[in-house]
Order: sequence, then structure tokens, then C-alpha cells
Amino acid sequence: MTFIPRLRQLEVVEDYLANGGKMAISAVPGSGKTHTLSYLAAQLVVNKITEDQEVLIVTLVNAAVDNFRLRIASFIKEMNLLPGMGYRVRTLHGLAHDIVRQRPGLAGLSEDFVIVDEGEAARILEDTVQDWCYANPDFSEYYLTREDMSAKSRRWVLREKWPELMRDIARAFIKRAKDWRVTVEQLQGYLAAASVDLPLARMGAEVYADYQHRLAARGGVDFDDLIRLAHHILTIDPDFLARLRRQWPYILEDEAQDSSRSQEDILRLLADHPEGGWVRVGDPNQSIYYTFTNASPQYLRNFMREPGVRCWELPHSGRSQPSIIRLANALIEWTQRAHPVAALRDALTPPLIEPSPPGDPQPNPPDAPAQVYLVSYAYTPEQELQAVVKSVRHWMAQAEAHPGATVAVLVPSNRRGAQMADALRQAGIKTVELLDNPPATRSAAEILGHVLRHLSKPTEGLHLKKVFEDWQSTRADTFIPLEHGRAISAWLERLRYIEGYLWPIDGNTGEGSLPSEVQSDARTASLLAGFRERVRRWQAAAILPVDQLMLMVANDLFTEPADLALAHKLAVELRTLQMLNFDWRLEELARELEAIARNERRFMGFSETAYEPRPGEVTVATMHRAKGLEWDRVYLTSVNHYDFPSAQPEDTYIAEPWYIRDRLNLQAEALEQLRVLCEGRPSAYMEGAATQQARLDYAAERLRLFYVGITRARRELIITWNTGSDDQRPKGQALPFAALMRWWENQDK
Amino acid sequence: MATFEATELDILNPEQQALLWSPRVKMFVQGPPGSGKTTLAVERLRYLLRQGMPTTAILVLLPQRLLATPYYQALRDPTLGPAGAVDILTFDGLARRVIRLFWPLIGERAGFAHPTRPPVFLTVETAQYFMDHIVAPLIERERYFEGITIERSRLLSQLLDNLNKAALTGIPLSEVAERLKSAWTGEAAHRRVFDQVGECVQRFRSYCLAHNLLDFSLQIHTFVQHLYPQPAVQAYLFERYRHLIVDNLEEETPIMHDLLSEWVRHCESAFIVYDESGGHRIFLGADPHSAVRLSDTCAYRWEFSRPLVASPDVLHLAYQIGLSLNRDSAHILHWLDETAAPDFRRILHAPGDQECRFHPQMLDWVAEQIECLIRREGVSPGEIVVLAPFVDDALRFSLLERLVARAIPARSHRPSRALWDEPAARCMLTLTQLAHPHWQMQPPKFDVILALMQAVAGLDLVRAWLLTEVVYRPHQTPWLSSFRNVQGDTRERITPSVGERYEVLREWLLNYQHTCPAGEEMVDHFLGRLFGEVLSHHGYGFHHYVAIPPAAPGTSHALDNARVAAQLIESARKFRQALEMVPGLSDALPPGVRFIQMVQRRLLAATYLPDERDTSKKAVLLAPAYSFLMTNRFVDYQFWLDVSSMGWWERIYQPLTHPYVLRREWEVGRPWNDEDEFNTRQEALYRLVVGLAYRCRRGIYIGISDLNEQGYEQRGPLLRAIQSALRRVR
Repeated sequence: MTFIPRLRQLEVVEDYLANGGKMAISAVPGSGKTHTLSYLAAQLVVNKITEDQEVLIVTLVNAAVDNFRLRIASFIKEMNLLPGMGYRVRTLHGLAHDIVRQRPGLAGLSEDFVIVDEGEAARILEDTVQDWCYANPDFSEYYLTREDMSAKSRRWVLREKWPELMRDIARAFIKRAKDWRVTVEQLQGYLAAASVDLPLARMGAEVYADYQHRLAARGGVDFDDLIRLAHHILTIDPDFLARLRRQWPYILEDEAQDSSRSQEDILRLLADHPEGGWVRVGDPNQSIYYTFTNASPQYLRNFMREPGVRCWELPHSGRSQPSIIRLANALIEWTQRAHPVAALRDALTPPLIEPSPPGDPQPNPPDAPAQVYLVSYAYTPEQELQAVVKSVRHWMAQAEAHPGATVAVLVPSNRRGAQMADALRQAGIKTVELLDNPPATRSAAEILGHVLRHLSKPTEGLHLKKVFEDWQSTRADTFIPLEHGRAISAWLERLRYIEGYLWPIDGNTGEGSLPSEVQSDARTASLLAGFRERVRRWQAAAILPVDQLMLMVANDLFTEPADLALAHKLAVELRTLQMLNFDWRLEELARELEAIARNERRFMGFSETAYEPRPGEVTVATMHRAKGLEWDRVYLTSVNHYDFPSAQPEDTYIAEPWYIRDRLNLQAEALEQLRVLCEGRPSAYMEGAATQQARLDYAAERLRLFYVGITRARRELIITWNTGSDDQRPKGQALPFAALMRWWENQDK
Repeated sequence: MATFEATELDILNPEQQALLWSPRVKMFVQGPPGSGKTTLAVERLRYLLRQGMPTTAILVLLPQRLLATPYYQALRDPTLGPAGAVDILTFDGLARRVIRLFWPLIGERAGFAHPTRPPVFLTVETAQYFMDHIVAPLIERERYFEGITIERSRLLSQLLDNLNKAALTGIPLSEVAERLKSAWTGEAAHRRVFDQVGECVQRFRSYCLAHNLLDFSLQIHTFVQHLYPQPAVQAYLFERYRHLIVDNLEEETPIMHDLLSEWVRHCESAFIVYDESGGHRIFLGADPHSAVRLSDTCAYRWEFSRPLVASPDVLHLAYQIGLSLNRDSAHILHWLDETAAPDFRRILHAPGDQECRFHPQMLDWVAEQIECLIRREGVSPGEIVVLAPFVDDALRFSLLERLVARAIPARSHRPSRALWDEPAARCMLTLTQLAHPHWQMQPPKFDVILALMQAVAGLDLVRAWLLTEVVYRPHQTPWLSSFRNVQGDTRERITPSVGERYEVLREWLLNYQHTCPAGEEMVDHFLGRLFGEVLSHHGYGFHHYVAIPPAAPGTSHALDNARVAAQLIESARKFRQALEMVPGLSDALPPGVRFIQMVQRRLLAATYLPDERDTSKKAVLLAPAYSFLMTNRFVDYQFWLDVSSMGWWERIYQPLTHPYVLRREWEVGRPWNDEDEFNTRQEALYRLVVGLAYRCRRGIYIGISDLNEQGYEQRGPLLRAIQSALRRVR
């Protein structure tokens, strides 16, 4: 689709083409910033750079990379030039990888250094923390001293909760230390010089040291190291930096409100020089990654105030119908003027969203106040699921009333998303998930895991049954009656003499014990014979190195390019794992695949291709993943005061476990201890202050998340809430939601 | 000195022909690849033999054995009579031979502690073993190399590389650390790592001298510094080898050039071949600039400017890529001007609009194109080569499987592969562990299952599992119990016939245990007997082809098993012999245990030296690009895989050594800066592209995938250079 820039967008692009330098663009939701930035990139590629230079575009998440690449390519094609040259779109990790790969020796790395996957990094950290906890059994005493806790509860907490909490603290601590580029040695020096004891920082530093040591022994670095080392290389070799500055004379940074210190520093090194061009586009109101990462909108705000930075606003948005825009603006105004906590009043700031002016090439949908539903009813979680399912089904049944329209259900967490997706699927509704681990990753790993599991214990009928079910599900070309498939599954599960079926000595495969109707069906018999042949092939290949075995199995099972690519990556990963864990055999590797299939950890999958909402299906997404996307109809769910707290007395926080003394947020306290240490003021640490501040930060971020959710909707918006799970105190409607309801009702009046 | 211009081999002018066929002539022949130089050199060899020169008087010197094929083929010509005694050697091969011969003369002078005992030549693997023996305590106790993130085997090979470079360039070992330190531009604290490097290589050298061990570097060092200067040695060499033929001089090191400069003056005839676009083995000390010096020692210098193989369109691609990389491509331009409007777009093929997003899609595209060339255009599979910056097992397997599925014969060039990754080797080693229970190396149950499955013909995975479950008792003595004790249902399931075969194997292992006293085992002997007395017999897995996935390349084949077994035995023998030289080493831990540990750590490799009689030349070849260049083959079609990969542009061997800083002409004290880094990489890529183009007759296919195997998008310099070239000619 051809993009016709609106006047303000054109002005921004023209200003930059004429003047270059540093520019900050504050863009409201739906203002077309991706289009504008892509358009600017294409113009720079065509008009401003030489053959050996590139415009560097830095985005926040992998999913956005493809979007940018496709858009820039299409603009360049429209200018009758060859796409694919003159620009590079990267996430910060991708950029760091590019940098380190060029001069690994400067970072003490060999050229074939390994990037340790998040799973392996988590495992190393888990082992490290576990060892630390064994060596420091008294550490928990200091924080687990709630008087009302029974000895039994205490034991339970120590067994079930404490290790996980310690891991989370250590992970956040190490991540932050790396973002600030504080080395283990520096940290140890700070601690030795400190006049007061900072136990969490001491724990963090010790785990950090051990963790780094274990990583180095594997010849690997983790994702955060990659960024730290990229910065390191740039600072120690000015010639290399100068070369990269020449190579990337323009840097366009998207989602700059979620920039971290590392990102800011690396881009500043590359772009902040007299000839450098740096455009940072963002919306501080959409900063929603502070809690999970080291991101902060403050970096963008500070940049806007720097001398020499030209600031532009893109206040017009053609995305949503005017009533939805008014609702989003009302949230900003309520926050600014009426939020009961003064410290949160800057959580959302102007500019307000303005509908596109008359005659605009990107007009808003027509105003329809009746299409905004703010549901005050106090649903239980289950009721809310059913209400949404019912509503979606009803809406989809009337497809002719809204041809081509798209719909999404937005949830605050992955867990809730999985429940929602299951409920929709059970109702027969076609559902797409945009959660942390895409289903494709889970399923490819699961299927391969089943095969490895079978090979590691080939006498178990249950394993063979699972392999058969996977095999059958990939044979779209061979249809057999459902009951035949079930009968074979049951038969395989009970099969006592598996060798007789797979490797018959006398020609008797034992299939005579299958139900007669199954035996007599030619297609079923053929499927079963084909299955036997494949399994024999895989069994014979069990002697091969695991990567080759996996590739063979994957080639037999998968046809989709993304599945095959993922299997290839999994194969290489498993081989690396086996080299790192010498005593691992197929059983342990199968367990690893099952972990990837089961858990929620991020595996650098191949499914993060550009997502496009499609009519006829419903998308279930976390509100975080929904950023940058839009649908005609949006359900915003679970808007209660647990998922969206507002620093009120009745609010509870996930980061403040009940079993910790004074309900401290230990993660926040650990990071605060790190901060005061690095600033050389260890005695400035005051226990509890960071917990309080974390509440405010979290509440502010959730407020912005609510704003992001509202602004995903083009025409129709439904907001619901629930009372929380049964084992907790009933939750109330989120404060900002209640405020919006009042405002909306007043509008009606 | 006369200079002749020759354009085609078969039209050498009469004067040139007369020179080529003169008994006493010294010629320096240079030109691009495919201009007929090696053909002339072979012709020269044939001429010498035809003239009845004693075969022992002729020496063919090559940078590596892979290049010997055309010379061996010539020697097999029956019309030349019995010519087998001609020595075709590499530099280190020559060094080893002379060291053996003159050991009594120099053993003591060269600093060896036991000059009366014979020397032991270390392989790469055994050298790594001893290096590990030296550095492991330093790493573990003294925290050496902290701040360096590198796998142990890579660390060891880089330390050894420093020794080799010093020997090949004639730099004193004591200078290595100083050179690396003074060239370092990174963090100052890192320089201590180079001191540690210096200390480790010195310790290693002392250790070798103390135990008569000669690694590659000490072979070269001993030969060059201690043997060659001896009048007796020179007399031997100059009098014995009176006719020299040296091919690919540009891939040799300056030390070799020094030595040859003198030698050529003393010999009766010399035919020296210099490839103008070569010098690819820079990581092994190759120095094309130093090589040119040899032309001064020769009376005649022939320059061939016209490549006879490469098509103008292919060379046009190299020229354009050269422009993109800011290289001086004038030498190609000079030749291109003579032809009518070359255009690389005619021979460059890339995936069309159907984008290859994922790596496997690229492999599919490559397989399809190869099939198309063979089936539709009648191209011989041997005329197609698939090249990648690196070929790991996953890539090898994935591509070969695709080709096998299309019934296309295919093979891969693997310089080496860890023995541990060879199923046959693992099988034999598991049986070795079972035969030596006093070593306390109990193999995991799954290894026993797989070993039995391979060793006993007719034993499938399920039955092997059942069998192992009942007979493998690692907590009892012996570990393997008798099948005769297995009764009832399980016995029938495994089947008595298979059980009987297992029983024979078990009894053989037990018998070995009883007859071989503890402490006197020699693993190589054990493995040899295991193979010869059991595994290669009827009823056992290495006897004949076992129907393991037929469509799966890389799986076992009886011949492959025999080859792997032979390599394993050879490797074990060399390892044992090396260990025997170090008193006390075998007392702490039996050599067999150390050997198995080395294999398990993947420090021992099976090497694959292609046989010149190899009939698989009729197959599509998959090879690393540099390895292909070094085979000096010419083909119709080349596929360049992963052109977006940074691998095409990467400098290997970091961070503990440096191929350029350890070159002879490097100005000591000068920092290695980013410009050096960038330029050498651009130059290396350019030379690679030119080298490939000269070896391609008809077409180049470039494989591109948006995401590499790891899911990262890459846009390396080769892809960018090609894109620039395309944009330029639009």
C-alpha cells in the first residue's frame, strides 16, 4: 500500500534531509511513526549516503525488524532502486552482535565464540545460585523472619519459593550490573571499601563472579555480555569506532522511550559526533519495559533537552475513532490532574492525541461512541473468560456487518493469555497467540523431544505412541479415520514386544492384535507401515552425533521452512549442549527439548516474522506484545487493581512476596544496593525505600500499559475486569479504569 | 635473464619448448590459476624421467599433500618406467626425513636432552595433549588466561600456532609475546595475557626438548636452524636432489624461500611455479611477496597472463567485487579488455523473488539448482562444487542428504573431524572401556547399547536395549554377564542367535582381560585385535554393509568403519609412543585412559586425506572455500553458500595469536590498528574471490538466506560487495 505522508510527517522528513544532525520526535500512538521513520530511512539511503555506507535503524524487538525492512524496501523500490542495500535494521542485540563479530579479539573472544542461549544461561545461573545458597545457608534468616510464619510454612518457602526468588534477584542484579558495565572486579572493590554491609549486593556480586567464570569456561557470552562487550570494543579502539561512524552516518532509533543506558551509550558513541546523524523517535507515554529490563523513558526526555537537538511532535493520529482518542486523552488528563498519588501524575504526559485534520491522507474511522464498552461488572476470572468468548463468537458470527475487520483480546500476562486462548479454541474460534514463546517453537521442540525420548528408551510403548501421534499429525496427505488413529495409539501404548513390531524376525509384526477394521483398512495399514519404516530409520541413526540425528528426524517430519529452520537451530544447540555437558546422552537432551517445549523462557525462535492481523481469527496477545499493532476491535481484560495497581493502600504487588520480612521487594532492594555502591555512597542505602519507589514505578508503568492497550483499538473497544483468583482477596476495579468510567458516564450525561 | 610471454600451453614457442625440455635449466613460471603452470611442471617431471634422470635425484616440493595428485598421476604412466621413487614432499615432510637421517649429528646440538634416544614426532593432536599437560595447571591454579573466553582446544591450538609461526618465519620464540603485546591496541591490562602466552610456549618448547618430542614447530626449527646449515646436510640434499620442481611457491613461508634460494643455486635444474593470485595460506605463514625473490635465482622467467579456464564473465564478477572492496583489480581488467563486453550477470545466479528467509530454504534452492544443472543441462556432478566459509557437520549432513534424496552423488571435503563423532570409533572405545574394568571408566548404559548395536550384526536398538539391560552390570565383576544366564521371555525376545554372537564378543573381551596383564595394555594393539579378530568377521558389525539409514550420508558403511578403525588405531599408536617418551607420565594414569579422555574431549581427529585414485570425483563436492582453493581444482559451476555470512570475511585465530604480527616483515613495536584489520580482511576476501573465479568455467550460484542457522540476520561484506556490483552495472 502506498504511503502518502501527511503534512507534518513531510515537514519532519524534509527538515531532517535538509539539516541532518540530532532530532527527537515525540509521536503519539497511531501517528505513523514507523512509516515516517521508514520513509526517512529510504530517503536517506537514496539521497544522502555513499555506496559503502548504511543507514542504521535500531528497533526494540525482533518482531519490528521485519516490518521496517519490508517498508524501507518497498519505498526504495518505488524510487526504482534495488532494495536490500544501504540500510541495516537491527535490535540492540543484533547490532552488538554485528560489532563484536568484527573484532572479537579485542573483547578477549575467539572468532567462533558462543552466544549462550537464554535457557543455558538460566541453567548456569540456577546452578550458581544453588551453590551459593548451599554455601550461605544463613542468608535467608535475615529476610524470612516473619513472626507469624510457622516452621512448616518456613520449610515450604525455603524449598519451593526461596530458590526461585534468589535466582530472580541474581538475574536482575547481573543484568543491571552489565547494563552499567560494572565488572566483577569493580564490584568486589566497591564492596571491600564499603563501610556498611549490603547483603543483597554481596550476594549479587558473588553470584555474578561465579556465573561469569562458568560462562568463560564454556567459551560463551550471554546476551547482556554481547552488549557490554560491543560498548567496550568501541571505547578501546577509536579507529574501529571511526570506521563504524563512517559506515553508519545516520542512526534512526525507534521506540526510544524504551532505550536502556547501554543502548543510549552505544548509539551515542556511534552517532554523537559533529558529522553524526541521530533521530530518536518515541512516545514516553508508551514506555512499558522498565520493570523487565533496564529501559527508561528518562533517556529520551533528557535527549530532548540537549542543546542542538531539534524536537518535533507527531500529534495527529488516524488510527482510532474519535471516541477512543478522547478516552485515551481523558486518561492522560486524569493522571495529570487527579491521580491520588502526586508522584504518579507525570506517568502520562501531553501531547494529547489529535485526530487527523480534514483531508488528511490517513483519516480516522468515523466517530462511534456506542462502540466503546466499559464493563463495570465484577466478573470472576472464569466468568470474564466466558464473557469474552461469548462476545467474540457473537461478533465473528456477524462477519458481514464488519467485513475485513480484525479483533484481538489483550491480557496482562502470558498465563492469562494461555487461558484465554484455550477458552477461545474450545469454543471453536480460530485463535492466534502473540505470547512469549510462539506455539511453533514449542511444538517443534516437543515433537523432536518425543523422538529423542523414544530413542533413549525404545522399549516404552508410551513414548512410541507419542511419536506416532506426532508423525500422524504431520502427514496431512494421509487421511485415516479418527478412530483408527486412536486405536493405533492405544495399541502402541500397550505394545509389549516393541521389537516384534519394529524389527520382526519372522515377519510377524504383531499387528494382528489391532482391531479388525483397522487392519483391513488399506490406508491405515500403509500409514502404519510407513511409520515403522521411519522409526527403524531413526533408531538406526541413534548412533549418529545428535545434530545429525535431529536433522534427519526433522527432515522426515517437517515441511514448513520455519519448522525446519528451527529444528536446524535446535540441532546445533543440542550439539553445543552435549559438548558443554559431556555426560549427556539422548535422555538428557530429550529433557532439554521438553523444557523448551514446556516453559516460558525465550528461545531465539524463527517465528518472529512480521505479524499481520487477519480477519476471521482472533489474536490473543499480552498488552506488551500488542505494542505497535492495531485491530478494529479490541478487548482489554483483567483491568483490576492487582494487574494495574495505583500505589494505593489496598494494592498488592507481585514483587512483594508475603513471606519476606516487611514485604520487601528484594529485587528492587538489591538493585538499590548496587546503585549506591556504584555511586560510592553505600551508607546512603535505606532499607524499604527502594520497595516504595518500585511500587510507584510499577504503578506508573501499568498506567502506561493501560494507555497502550486502549490505543490499540481502531473502531471498537471493550474493557473488562475480574476479581482475581479465588485463593486471594477479591480484587477491585483498577483505579484509572474506574476514573475513566466516571468520565465516560459524565460525557454521556 | 630472458622473459617469455606464453599464452597457451600447447603453443609454447619452439624456444620455450626447447627450454622446457632441456636438462639443465632453471625457470620461474608465474601466472594466474588455470594458465597451465602446473601442467608444465608435470610435463617437466615427465621430461626428466624420460631423459632417464635417476628418480632419486628428483624432488617435487609442494605446500601440501593435496596438491600432489597430478604428479602422482604422471608417475603412474607406464611409458615412463619405474618412477615410483620420486620424492613428492612437503616442507615438514622433508624436515622430518632429514631429522631422522641426521639425528645422531644434531640431537645434542639442538638441545635435546636424550640425543641417543630416537626422536618422536608429534601429531597436531599429541602436541595439543602435551600443551594441555603444561597449561592446565596454570589455568586452574594460577588463573592464567582469565578474561579470555575461549574453548580449551582452541586455546591450545592457538598457543601451538604461535610456536609454528615463529618457526616458519624464523622469529625467535622469545619475541612472540613482545610482538603480540606491542601490536595490541585494546585494554592495557590484557597485555599480561600475552606474557602468559610467551611463558606457555617457552615451557612447551623446554618440555619437548627434555623429552625428545618434536612438534611441527620444533621439526621446522631443528631442520632450519640446526640441520640445514651443516655442510654434511647441505651436501646430502644438494647432491641427492639435483632436480627441483616446486609448485605453489606463494603458499610457502619465508624460511622455505630462504632455503630454496640457496638450494636452487646448487641444483642442476629447477622449475618453480608461482601463482599470482595465491597466498591463501596466510594463516600458515604463506608469504607471496617473499616468494618472488626466487625469480632472481632462475635464469628464465615465464609470465603467463591469460587464464585458460575461467570465463571472462566470471572474471568480470571478480573484477567488480574487487571494485566494491576498493581493491586494485587492474590485473583482471588488463585481461578483460581483450574480450568483448564481459558481463557477470550472465553467469551469476541468485534466488529470484522467492526469498530464502531461512537457512534450510537456501539449501533446498541449492539442491534444486544442482539437480537442474545435472538433469537438464547434462553437467557432470564432478563439475559442481558447493563452497561455504566453514562446513560443519550439520551443514554437511543437511546438504548431502538433500542431494542423496535426489539421487545425486555427493561428497564433502573434511580436513578433519573429531574421532568422537565417528560412531565406529565410539563403538570401539566403549568396548575398550569394557575390556579394561580396572581403568574405572564405566561407560554409560546408553553407550553400551549403541556399541553392542553396532558391534553385533542383527542387533537392533530395541534388542540392544533389552540385552544391555540384562547383561551390563557395572557394579559387578565382570561388567558383562553371559547371555547363557538370560532365560525365558527376554532370551526369546533378544533371540538366541544374536545372543550367541554377543557371547562370542564377550568371551573375547574376557579372554583379553585374562591374558593381558594390567599395566601392560597397549590400546592400539587391543583395537587392532578387536577389529581383526572380532568386528571384521562375519556376524559382526564391521564385516559388511549394515543396513543403517540408506539415505543418510554420514552413517556407517563397512569401508568407512574400517577406515575409522584404522585411524583410531594409528592415532592410539602415535599417542602411546609419544607418552612413552615421558618417564612417569604413564605411571599416574594408564596411556589408554589418557587416550580415551583425549578422544572424548574431541582433541583427537580423524583426518581425511583424499585418495588420488578416488573415484568419487564424479560427485558434487561440498568444501570450505579455502580448502577448495588449496586443491587447485577447476570446475564448471560453483555454489557459494551463505554469501551474507560474516564468515567469508572473518579473520580466524584470535585472540591469542596473530598471523600478520608474527610475519617476518611486521615492524615490531607498531600497533595493529583497525585500518590494518579492515584492509587485511578486505584483501583476503578479494583474493579468495579472485582465486575462486579463476577456477570456475561457467557459472556461479550464490546462496542467500535472510537468517543464518542461529536465527541472526547477517549482511556480510561479500553480499554487500555483490550488491554494489549489481547496482553499478544496472
